[in-house]
Amino acid sequence: MDLDLARQAQAGDESAFAEIVRRYSPRVFSVASRFFRQRSVVEEAAQEVFLKAYTQLGSFEGRGSLEGWLTRIATNTCLNMVRSSKRRPESTVSDLTDDEASWLDHQSAGDGEQSSVEKDLVATDLADRLLSVLSPEDQQALLMIDGEDASIKEVAEATGWSESKVKVRAFRARKKVREAMEKLLGHRNKQLDSAAD
Amino acid sequence: MPLKKAKHITEILDNASMAALSENELNEVRAHALECGSCRSAYEAARLSAVVLKSRAQVVIEPSPFFQTRVMAALRERREAESVPAFARLWKSAKVLVSSMALTTAALGVLTFVLPGTAVSDDQTLSAYSAESVILGQDPDDQMSYEQVLSTIYADEDEAK
Repeated sequence: MDLDLARQAQAGDESAFAEIVRRYSPRVFSVASRFFRQRSVVEEAAQEVFLKAYTQLGSFEGRGSLEGWLTRIATNTCLNMVRSSKRRPESTVSDLTDDEASWLDHQSAGDGEQSSVEKDLVATDLADRLLSVLSPEDQQALLMIDGEDASIKEVAEATGWSESKVKVRAFRARKKVREAMEKLLGHRNKQLDSAAD
Repeated sequence: MPLKKAKHITEILDNASMAALSENELNEVRAHALECGSCRSAYEAARLSAVVLKSRAQVVIEPSPFFQTRVMAALRERREAESVPAFARLWKSAKVLVSSMALTTAALGVLTFVLPGTAVSDDQTLSAYSAESVILGQDPDDQMSYEQVLSTIYADEDEAK
């Protein structure tokens, strides 16, 4: 089915390619959303993925799913976009916004169960801040495994890396993020101590 | 708490996601964290990191209803660009440069051949005045030929006689 659609699209059948875009754009957007948060950038990345996929349709042999094939193109395209944009400012993980500090206080006190849009946004901002200490590849591995509960094998398939490489990346990323979070918590505790004095 | 043991739980924390830890491993980590200050902060940081990462992973932007149309339009545009011959593409990119060069050449041509028409006549007027005439204050039309000079001299001599 996927292979037929790919062959039709490759032969110049526009409606077949439009069907591929319609069917798999949610998946491609989901991959791009791991790397970018602005809608315009996610759309730009997703469009680039489909244009690249169109030119490479001949290399899809139907051994795996079209979705898996597109996921790999999406991952590599987004990684290249992040690398070329060099949008990785050195993160200052010691400075917390008031909202972040408040979020951490609530979580540490154990009342983090109440979820709201605002709280989720603060948590997401905090996550991006922590992730910015990592390379784009390590971010990808950690977000997939710890964020989306993907298996090592799934990450390996999506990225084209070996499973041992994925394990190493995830271990290294998890350690760095944990240490960055420890630093934030230490900084917050100092703030609270000095406020109490 | 022995150091070796403390290192061991950070390894557990870094080896797998919190969600992937077994109940036994979690109990071991929690029990250890209660007794060891540094491991307690490591555990707390790992727990909060897991929460923010889950939150981040939930942020998924959905495709807009126009996305498919946008991609198909971009695809057609790219195919059209690829179907244009190489010379036409080169012309498209070099058009501005070539046009400006042609314009400059035309302007230079006008300045050289058309506008200097009046200037040339001035030059001609100027060249009509020899250095001698300028220095001696003589008009070239007033100059006498060699024969005229000789005849004038002889005429003067004859008159003198």
